[in-house]
Amino acid sequence: MLSFILKDLKIMARDRTELLVLLLMPLILIGILGFALRGMFEGNTAALEMEVALVQLDDEEAGIEAFIEDLEESGAPDEQVQALGNAARDISPSRLLMAMFENDELEEIIAIVETDQETAESYVRNEEVAAVLTIPEHFTYDSLRKMMLDEGEGSSLALTVTEYGSLRASIFNDVISQFVRELNFETAIAQAYGGGLPLGEEAETGGRESATAADPVSSMQYYALGMAVMFVLYVSSTLSSKAFVEKKQHVFYRILLTGTHPVTYLSGKFISASLIAFLQLAILFSLSAIVFQAFTFHSINFWLGMAGISAALSLCVGALAALLTALVVRYNNDAISSIFSGGVVSLFAFVGGSFFPTDNMPAFFNFIGSWTPNGAGLAAYVQWLQGYETSVIMGSLLRIAVATVIIIVVSLLIFPRRRSTIV
Amino acid sequence: MLETEELRKVYKGTAAVDSVNLFLEKGESVGLLGPNGAGKSTTISMIASLIAPSAGDVRLNGKSVLKHPNEIRKVLGIVPQEIALYPELTAFENLKFFGRIYGLKGEALSRRVQEVLKLLGLEDRQKDLVKTYSGGMKRRINIGAALLHQPEILIMDEPTVGIDPQSRSYILDTVRKLNEEKGMTVLYTSHYMEEVERLCDRVYIMDHGKVIASGTKDELKSILSGEEAILVEMDRDYPGLVKELEADEAILQTIEIDKGLKLIVPKGSRLLGKIFQAAERHGAQISNITVQVPTLEDVFLHLTGRKLRD
Ligand SMILES: Nc1ncnc2c1ncn2[C@@H]1O[C@H](COP(=O)(O)OP(=O)(O)O)[C@@H](O)[C@H]1O
Ligand SMILES: [Mg+2]
Repeated sequence: MLSFILKDLKIMARDRTELLVLLLMPLILIGILGFALRGMFEGNTAALEMEVALVQLDDEEAGIEAFIEDLEESGAPDEQVQALGNAARDISPSRLLMAMFENDELEEIIAIVETDQETAESYVRNEEVAAVLTIPEHFTYDSLRKMMLDEGEGSSLALTVTEYGSLRASIFNDVISQFVRELNFETAIAQAYGGGLPLGEEAETGGRESATAADPVSSMQYYALGMAVMFVLYVSSTLSSKAFVEKKQHVFYRILLTGTHPVTYLSGKFISASLIAFLQLAILFSLSAIVFQAFTFHSINFWLGMAGISAALSLCVGALAALLTALVVRYNNDAISSIFSGGVVSLFAFVGGSFFPTDNMPAFFNFIGSWTPNGAGLAAYVQWLQGYETSVIMGSLLRIAVATVIIIVVSLLIFPRRRSTIV
Repeated sequence: MLETEELRKVYKGTAAVDSVNLFLEKGESVGLLGPNGAGKSTTISMIASLIAPSAGDVRLNGKSVLKHPNEIRKVLGIVPQEIALYPELTAFENLKFFGRIYGLKGEALSRRVQEVLKLLGLEDRQKDLVKTYSGGMKRRINIGAALLHQPEILIMDEPTVGIDPQSRSYILDTVRKLNEEKGMTVLYTSHYMEEVERLCDRVYIMDHGKVIASGTKDELKSILSGEEAILVEMDRDYPGLVKELEADEAILQTIEIDKGLKLIVPKGSRLLGKIFQAAERHGAQISNITVQVPTLEDVFLHLTGRKLRD
């Protein structure tokens, strides 16, 4: 097996044309696209600026008062009532919400306009705002009761989005969902401690992060990643083409003469392609960092994450190489490699977002893109670069893993296992 | 030690190999002679168990190879008809790769690769890429790759196609050396009868998938013992003359060759006068006339009415 891999690597290293395609071409494209489309990314926040109408139907102070009155009536000891009352002021959801909008990063893009319900409706009709956020009556009172005492139904924020599916609307939606999720999380903690703990502290936990609050991605970074995930796909068709040459040049015949099992041969292709893909990604990212300053040396951890995502993507490329090899050997025709490198890669790159971010594309388009190895890989890299938590990235990695396994199984089914059917 | 039993392969209704029975004794050098498309390569692939026969079996020391394909792979060295090497790797790297997948390792592998390179006279060029080699050198490495695991039986499928006479001579000498000095059993496939005449003790002649004759060289030639060939060379072709001679009952076979004729006639028949007269009638100018003892080529011609190489 090792001899097969070494041989493949050696042959690859000696193929100057392939090296140019796999390494030089993406670098040139990263340079061109990264510089040319700088505006698209760095004007980023300007393009995202939005006005949001806020309809406040709740009286926060009255809500807190009512909540404390309830506590007193319940006959709880005085100190406890006082502690809970103070905590209620600290974690009052309305206040937290406002504090979030005043956060520096959000303030830059989201302008809040407080207004009454009627005006807000007219704003929506005239599309003057991206969204309307309505804080319902008794929001504070209902939420506090639910959060601290687990009584009642709680309350919910109402969000009306003007341009449904637009980038702005979806970002705002993300911001609010994130807020609600954190609130619920804190609620859960509060309840787990029986509501008697200093809740003020808990409210500070779990720093507030959301799509817009994450580190912005520069055009250079985006295209370094986008081109890398696109060009890494060419590794699979390059290897399957080489497999075809092996068949045409009869070395495949000779390999079988030695008693090598065909599946060993196919596994060799899988591993070779994975290794070559990983090396290619490593070289592209390193050169992007050195030549274009696309990445800085964040931390060991950052590069470990990059390596992890690259490994998953590389294995998927290896699986694709095995699939193409199986097809090429079975049908004794290299057209499949050409179709892949000539059409499928570009198509994948397009839907996977290698040429431009696909946030604004229809959901179906994005769904397909997220299932392409390059699309899922790109998403994982970008999320990692933005400092998302590992759990977010796992979604993309899982899709890659599922695709890898399916492709391997299909290749094994397609690859002729009986020697007599191969020659 | 190796034999085929009624071996048969049918491709789309036509038999590429049809009930072929061959055997090889230990230490023998056997020729398999036949024109292109006779079914030689298909037979070899079936012996190597790379192609499943439609019928029949291959036996190694009495054991069915179909059922135990890996046993024969160890003792069998096959030189494919085509150059089966990586052009982008050096001769050394090619041999090392194939040696490794034959299961050789480390020191033993390096030693064996150097032995093979020496045997084939390519030690000096081992570090050059195979694509820079001449046809003859590629053929030699192609043979070398089949020798790495020291097979007992060497099957060569037209190993000298399209190379210079020097390389051919070198290869023939090497094969003879392997057979005579190392006691290797050889099955040598060719459509060059001179090679088979020079190398082999025993010969099978194949045509259209069938073995049409077999035996020692002398046995085969004795098929033609009552005949001889008259080679007539002329200034150009004379179709009229050919027609006239073909019509002659005393001449067994008339074959047109470039600017001349080959006539198969019964031994001792005095036909030269007749031929000269006929030539004169057609205005043909004879530049040379020879009477030949039969070759294997003539045997083939006799059996099939065709030349080995068209
Ligand atoms: N895979 C195949 N499919 C169909 N026909 C084949 C195949 N392989 C060989 N043949 C046919 O079988 C016959 C014998 O071929 P081959 O064994 O290569 O002859 P040789 O080696 O004597 O030149 C030829 O007519 C060839 O066209
Ligand atoms: Mg042949």
